[in-house]
Amino acid sequence: MLQDYLVPKTIDQALSHLQNNNGKARIIAGGTDLLLDLKEGKKEAGILVDITRIPGLKVITMENGVVRIGSAATHNQVAKSDIIREKALVLAQAARSVGSLQIRNSGTVVGNVLNAQPAADTAVALTALGAVAEILSPAKKEYLPVEELYAGLGKSTLDSTSQLLTMVQFPALLKNQGSAFERLEQRKALALPMLNVAVVVSLSGEQFEWARIVMAPVGTKPVRATESEAILKGARATSELIEKAAGAAIAQANPRDSALRGSREYRLEVLPVLVKRALESAVAQAKGNF
Amino acid sequence: MSVKTLSFILNGENTVVEVALSDMLVDVLREKLLLTGTKKGCGKGECGACTVIMNGEAVNSCMVPALKAEGAIVETIEGIGRPDKLHPLQESFMDQGAIQCGFCTPGMIMSAKALLDKNLTPNREDIREAVSGNICRCTGYVKIEKAVSVAAKQIRENQ
Amino acid sequence: MKEYDVIGKNVRRLDAAEKATGTATFSTDFSLPGMLHGKVLRSPYPHAKIVSIDTAEAEKLPGVKAVATYQNTPREIFNTSATMAFTVPALEPVLDQYIFDNIVRYVGDEVAAVAAVSEKVAEAALELIKVEYEELPAIFDPLEAMEPGAPDIHPNCSAGKNIPGEIVKIPFGDVDKGFVESDVVFEGRFKLPVQKQAQLETQAAVAQVGADGKITVWSTTQTPHPSRSILAKVFGVPESKVRVLNPPYVGGGFGVRIGLSAKAEPIAVALAKLAGKPVKVVYSREDDFIASDTRHGGYVSIKLGSKKDGTFHAMELKGTLNTGAYCSFGCETPGVMGAMGLAVYRVPNQSYYGHSVYTNTSPAGAMRGFGNPQAMFAIESAVDMMAEKLGMDPLELRLKNIMQVGDPWCLPYPCQSTGLAECIEKGAGSIGWDNRNSLNQPGAKKLRGIGAGVGTHVSNAWPFCVDYDNAYLAVQQDGSIHLAAGVPDIGTGTSTTLPQLAAEALGVGLGEVSLTFGDTATTPFDIGSHASRTCYAAGTAVVAAANDARRQVLEYAGDFLNVPPERLDIKGSVIYITGQELGEQCAGTGVCQTGAGTSVCETGEKRNSVSLRDLAYHAHLRNKQFIGVGRIVPGNAPPWQAHFAEVEVDTETGQVKVLKVAAAHDVGKAINPCIVEGQIEGGVLMGVGYATSEEITYDAKGRQLHNSLHKYMLPTAEDAPEIDAIVVEASDPTGPFGAKGVGETGLVPTAGAIANAVYNATGIRFYEIPLTEEKVYRALKQRV
Repeated sequence: MLQDYLVPKTIDQALSHLQNNNGKARIIAGGTDLLLDLKEGKKEAGILVDITRIPGLKVITMENGVVRIGSAATHNQVAKSDIIREKALVLAQAARSVGSLQIRNSGTVVGNVLNAQPAADTAVALTALGAVAEILSPAKKEYLPVEELYAGLGKSTLDSTSQLLTMVQFPALLKNQGSAFERLEQRKALALPMLNVAVVVSLSGEQFEWARIVMAPVGTKPVRATESEAILKGARATSELIEKAAGAAIAQANPRDSALRGSREYRLEVLPVLVKRALESAVAQAKGNF
Repeated sequence: MSVKTLSFILNGENTVVEVALSDMLVDVLREKLLLTGTKKGCGKGECGACTVIMNGEAVNSCMVPALKAEGAIVETIEGIGRPDKLHPLQESFMDQGAIQCGFCTPGMIMSAKALLDKNLTPNREDIREAVSGNICRCTGYVKIEKAVSVAAKQIRENQ
Repeated sequence: MKEYDVIGKNVRRLDAAEKATGTATFSTDFSLPGMLHGKVLRSPYPHAKIVSIDTAEAEKLPGVKAVATYQNTPREIFNTSATMAFTVPALEPVLDQYIFDNIVRYVGDEVAAVAAVSEKVAEAALELIKVEYEELPAIFDPLEAMEPGAPDIHPNCSAGKNIPGEIVKIPFGDVDKGFVESDVVFEGRFKLPVQKQAQLETQAAVAQVGADGKITVWSTTQTPHPSRSILAKVFGVPESKVRVLNPPYVGGGFGVRIGLSAKAEPIAVALAKLAGKPVKVVYSREDDFIASDTRHGGYVSIKLGSKKDGTFHAMELKGTLNTGAYCSFGCETPGVMGAMGLAVYRVPNQSYYGHSVYTNTSPAGAMRGFGNPQAMFAIESAVDMMAEKLGMDPLELRLKNIMQVGDPWCLPYPCQSTGLAECIEKGAGSIGWDNRNSLNQPGAKKLRGIGAGVGTHVSNAWPFCVDYDNAYLAVQQDGSIHLAAGVPDIGTGTSTTLPQLAAEALGVGLGEVSLTFGDTATTPFDIGSHASRTCYAAGTAVVAAANDARRQVLEYAGDFLNVPPERLDIKGSVIYITGQELGEQCAGTGVCQTGAGTSVCETGEKRNSVSLRDLAYHAHLRNKQFIGVGRIVPGNAPPWQAHFAEVEVDTETGQVKVLKVAAAHDVGKAINPCIVEGQIEGGVLMGVGYATSEEITYDAKGRQLHNSLHKYMLPTAEDAPEIDAIVVEASDPTGPFGAKGVGETGLVPTAGAIANAVYNATGIRFYEIPLTEEKVYRALKQRV
């Protein structure tokens, strides 16, 4: 039963609300996932601490080649941000594909990550971008890679009753780099992905310097296709090579059978198509930047 | 404590209302303030019938805790036009045949208004994105898209 | 062609202003002083006996005012659908449910209900009701439910194991001989999914029981008058003491509430009686999904025989539909499936055999198209395959065989109009039919294709069901018009088209007319809004009422102007002598308002016209009002439609994207073309969903997997293809000004057209919809 709804104006206030209530208070941002979980009894909260009025948390910035997204920044802010579109297109695309416009106007990218669903679109993109989260507790400040925020299916390592994730940050993509997001979905809005893939590539001329490929839902969290990445690293970016790397992605994918969103078998078979398409767009983008 | 006072600006007027902590904005609008123009079609953010504009953005009022609206500027269908001076979107929805059963209409118009408030030259994709969270089962969206673009043109010409 | 003043024009809908401003009232918006809120406890089991039910704790919860179960509510057996009130003898309506029973037959079946001061309290109380169940064996597939060992879901199924009502058999010619004489025969079985209406306003009712025992129910029903009959029977009160009305708007229907709004009305009344206060019951979206009617899924088999030259010679159609746990329209849907399936093509030897089957799933009932889309998916797929076997163009084959005016057919009324050939021609032009075999480059991963499908439908339910209409039209004392008709406006534009028809027939402007509708207390009996009938059938009654009033007006005016009434006409609310110019100075001079009405002007000239305003007031002062009554049994008329779909199939993922649908519809005279287009466009998109993405499936425990708008894949604005709605007007002599039905027709041939387009793109024939990515991918893979 909800006993209070608090709207702190500063990060310190938010943290002290958490501390003063000994685990009974929980952070809420957009609330688009949390409210449903509370309604269905999946999560509990005596007090909600709304962080969306804390000025510093809503901003998206780029400084010294590092992009930072505050934890109260909405999906739509991220999808429409010039910084994100120029420096991390994959994240703009991922944010654009969540829910509907109304959901994107309320729900936050960080909330999407902390809800810890394996196929959280922006978590998949952020993992590909190598994003790191800044986490505050009353006693300390720590930095965790986004992929380490997953403790299990629907479970975050972050404790929203005592910790506050303030922002995620990642290096802005350079001119020789490209990124792309691919999503297999049953309709264009209001649909969870059957599969989603985020890639970031770095080229040196015609060659891959490196690539990061992340896919979901093929495990309990966004999964790196490191074998595919290894195939690409240092090799010439040909369509044959991309095809080969895409095919290798299934080795690390372990999707479930879903009565709603496709069988394991189907997902495994179609996954390489998405990886291939994402790689092709990312490479074209990196080349186009020259 | 299970009741709190919510103060916000609703359709241009300072509004103060007692709300339960667990109330969603849609419940306060419909049940406490008797603004039933905002509809409730699912209660889970899946249909858009309850769309209102909060601080300039279209949101599902069924997914907004009422207290999140503290100090906010909220617009509902009741606030965007008067019988003698309707909003151009209201006019165009009527003219273009974009209204059938009418249950999605208020939310649809609010989503469209949030778009036109920012973009008076929307293309087809912009319009479709703007109403992507507003389910309409009657129209096939054809005349809705048309109505939004006609209203945009109307507003441009009146400026 | 006759020039019309009011019909055939795109006037603004008369309900548009209220709906655009948020002031239109729907059932879910409606409230009364002291009103309580009702919530329903639903079965978690697909089939179980209630061993015990303990409501004591729930009743103790503060704020709870009543708890209803099978133990304290009427045990009158009924049917939630209007079949209860309009089944035609010698058929008997199937009565198979109670408000609450001690057996539950699907996950979601009603167990108990609570009325409390708020929805939240009512919900909390539901959790305090202790129910002990004894699980019974359950069955989910209609074919399995007919097996001898399957559990009996209802007693007294005399037609066959778990078969409600009677089996529909339509014989026409000699089908066995027909196949022997055929040169080419195609045979196949098709599987249909469960589609959901997903109307935007969930089922809802507010019930008030007066101190005098009178019951008033505001609800979302599509048929207030039949709903009143059902409630009167269930609660044992005279029909005259029950009032059912819409308040007045209804957030969509698509068949889901032909009759009661699931059980919202009887539960609200039962709770209101127990609590002694008004009660509002609003279904949650999940309630609406799991516990109100769906479209019938099931199986359709077709055997089609043709002569070598492409002349169809024999067709056999069989339908086995899943009607779920209760039979709402489980007998009529297979009937319409057969009747419509057999009516499209001129086939001398035909037969149909169809029925539905009880299973332990959510009840299936009426949904837009009513069995016809199911039949036409199979038939139009079969016709395309026949064309291929014969080496003919699919359109040429259709044009050769489609029904023509006067052709013998199986239906009990004649075919008096068809614009189908024109629909085919116009639709083909819009889609670019001639390009269909040159859309793809060799090696393309995304393949395009074009396909077509055609169909027909009814314009009302007669003579399959009771179907008649009444309307009255009263000329008010100032010459304006009040019209009353018992049909609701569920969004289809009734409250605009009926006044348009009245205005045209009478000769007044639309602005003069106001309509009372959807209310049993203030309108004469009307069967309601279903079967694409409202404009056609209720419209016929409205025109009859207008003509009746017009006759009275002209008779009175004849005396007034001293001319025979036959020489008079009415235009723009002015009654004038035909062949003479309207004397401007004479119309509406105000002379008559003084009561000194005279056919001679102040100038001494003889009047050649009088305004309806003056005439009505003149009559009023002499104790007379012009009141027209329309009491009609409609004929029936076939609307026709041809759909053309262009699709793109992603062969690497199996995704089917519908790019465009050209939908050409013969609707007879389009009373309001904009409304007609809207009906077509909405229907087409629902058909696109039916063909490609929409489906409710169940898990092994009988629970719906697709029980929300998020899980159920109906198209959003971003999914909609380009839709070209083309209106063809082959006037029918039976309809008002030649109009025919349109409401349901928008999705009759869509699935067939899309499946044929996918075949054109990929060469793969699908015997099952929806064409989901995985299904299509699997088929593409198997071919390789």
